[in-house]
Amino acid sequence: MDARFGRPKIRNMSDPAENFTKQSAAFQKIWLASMSKLMQAAFTFTPNSAPPELLRQIRNGMLQALAGAWDEFLRSPQFQASMKQWMEQAVAFRKMSNDFMSKARKAVQAPTSGDVDAIMLSVRHMETRILDRVEELSRQVHELQSRAGQVQTQSASPRRAQKNLRKPLRAKKRAKRS
Amino acid sequence: MNLINDFTNPWLQWQQAAVDETLNTAQRMRLLPSLLERARQIRKGVTPSEVVHEEDRLKLIHYVSGKPPRYRTPLVFVYALVNRPYILDLKIGRSVVANFVERGFDTYLLDWGVPADADRYLTLDDYINGYMVNVMDYLCERAGMKKLNVLGYCMGGTMSAMFTALHPKRVKNLILLAAPIDFGTHDGLLNVWTQSGNFDVDKFVDAFGNCPAEFLQAAFLLLRPVQNLLQKPIDFYERMHEEKYLEDFLATEAWLQDNIPVPGEVYREFVKYLYQQNLLTNGRMPVGKRIVKLENITCPVLNLVAGEDDLVPCGQSTPFNDLVGSKDRKSLMLQGSGHIGLAIGGRAQRELWPQVCDWLAQRTN
Repeated sequence: MDARFGRPKIRNMSDPAENFTKQSAAFQKIWLASMSKLMQAAFTFTPNSAPPELLRQIRNGMLQALAGAWDEFLRSPQFQASMKQWMEQAVAFRKMSNDFMSKARKAVQAPTSGDVDAIMLSVRHMETRILDRVEELSRQVHELQSRAGQVQTQSASPRRAQKNLRKPLRAKKRAKRS
Repeated sequence: MNLINDFTNPWLQWQQAAVDETLNTAQRMRLLPSLLERARQIRKGVTPSEVVHEEDRLKLIHYVSGKPPRYRTPLVFVYALVNRPYILDLKIGRSVVANFVERGFDTYLLDWGVPADADRYLTLDDYINGYMVNVMDYLCERAGMKKLNVLGYCMGGTMSAMFTALHPKRVKNLILLAAPIDFGTHDGLLNVWTQSGNFDVDKFVDAFGNCPAEFLQAAFLLLRPVQNLLQKPIDFYERMHEEKYLEDFLATEAWLQDNIPVPGEVYREFVKYLYQQNLLTNGRMPVGKRIVKLENITCPVLNLVAGEDDLVPCGQSTPFNDLVGSKDRKSLMLQGSGHIGLAIGGRAQRELWPQVCDWLAQRTN
C-alpha cells in the first residue's frame, strides 16, 4: 500500500457530544451547499430563460451538492465502521444458515454442501498433482527431444560430408557410361 | 412596446412550457406499458458471431465478417469475471468489437461464462495459466501465428497484463481498457472499502463461496448513490419519449442489471493481493507457482483510461506504462468519460476507437 495514504483511523464512536457536533456539522454542510447552488441558479435567471430550464438547473445544483455530501459520507470512518458491522452480521447469518442447512440435510442423509466441497477439494488436489507431474514429464520430454536433436545434427553432418564426397564420383561414372 | 413584451414573454414561456410538459407526460404514459416488453427484446450482442472453442464454462466467440480479415494476427478481447461481456458489442453504433471487425481484424471475445457454486475454488492461476493459455494455443494454431493481439477490459485488463507478463512470447500487442493496476491509490471508494481493517475477505469467501452478484451490484450502485438512485431515474423520466435515448438507456441498463457471481478464490486473491496488499505494482503478485513481474512485458502497450471513472480511477491505470519493460508504450485518456462510456460512449466511438484501430494496424500483420 502507498505510504502516503494511511488507512483512515476509525475513531471512538462512543463520545456522543463529539458525534453530535460532527453530524450536525455534516448536515449543515449539505444544506449550505444545496442552498448556495440554488441561489446560484436563481441569480442566473433572466426573464427570457425558459422556466423548465431554471428548475432543472436548481435541481441539478441540489443533486450535485447531495452527491458531494454522500461521497464524503461513504468515505467517512463512521460509514466504514457501520459497513464492517453490517458485513460481519451478514457473514454470521450466512454461516448460521449454512450450518442449519447442513444439519437438516444430514438428518435426512442427503449430501451437504460441506461434503460437495470436500469432494471438490480432493478433485482439485488430485488435478494439481497430475498437472504438476504432466508438466514435469513434458519438461523432461522437451529436454530429451532437444538432446536427441543435437545428437542427430552431430551424426548427420559426417554422413552429409560422405554423400557430398560421393557426388563427384557418381558424376564421373555417369560421364564414362555416356 | 418592449416593456409589454418583457412583461408578457415570461408568462407566455411558462404557458408554453406547461403545455409542452403536459404533452411529453402524455407521451411518456403512453410508452410505459410497452417498456418492459422492449427491455425484454434487447439483443445481447449485435455483430454476427460463432462459438469456435469451449472449455468448461468458457466460450471463445469469433466475430464473422463478410470479407476475409486484412490482418492475420488475431485480436482477442479478454473480459472481466464481473458482468457479461456483451457490453463490448452492445448495439449498432455502440460496439467496440464492430470497430475492429470493420477494420479487418480477425476478432475474438473470451466469454468466461457464469460460474456455478462448484467453481468457487477456481483461482487466478486456473484462469490465467489454464484457460487463457489454452485459448491462446488454440488461436495460434487456428490462425497459424505465434503471437496474438490482446485487449483486456477492466478486471480482464489486469488479467491480460498478468498473462502477458507470465507468457510474454505469446502476445504481440497489448491494449488495456480501464484496467486497474496500481491499487495503492485511495481515489476510488472500492479501494477504501476493501481495506483489511474494513473488510475481512477470508471470512466472507468462507461463508459465501462465490461472491454473490447482488453484493457486487449493491457495491457498484453505492459508488455513486445520488447519480444512480436519483439522477438516473429523473433523467429517464424526462427523456423516455426520445427514441434514441430510450434505446441506449434500455440496452445499458439491461447489461448493468445482468450481473454474475465471481468465483470465490479469485475474489479472495483479487481483494487480498491487489486491493489490500497492492502486490502487482511491487512485483510480488503470485499466480499459481509463479510471480508476476510487469517489467517482463516488452511488447507494444496501449493504455486506455477514462478521466471520470469512478470504478477504476485513472490513478489506478496510468502507472502501468511506467511499470512495463516495453519501449513502445502509449496512454490515451478520454476526458469526461466514465468506466462504461470509455467503451460504448458516443465520443469514444467517434474519437477513441478509430485511433486505437490505427495504433493496432500499424503494429500488426
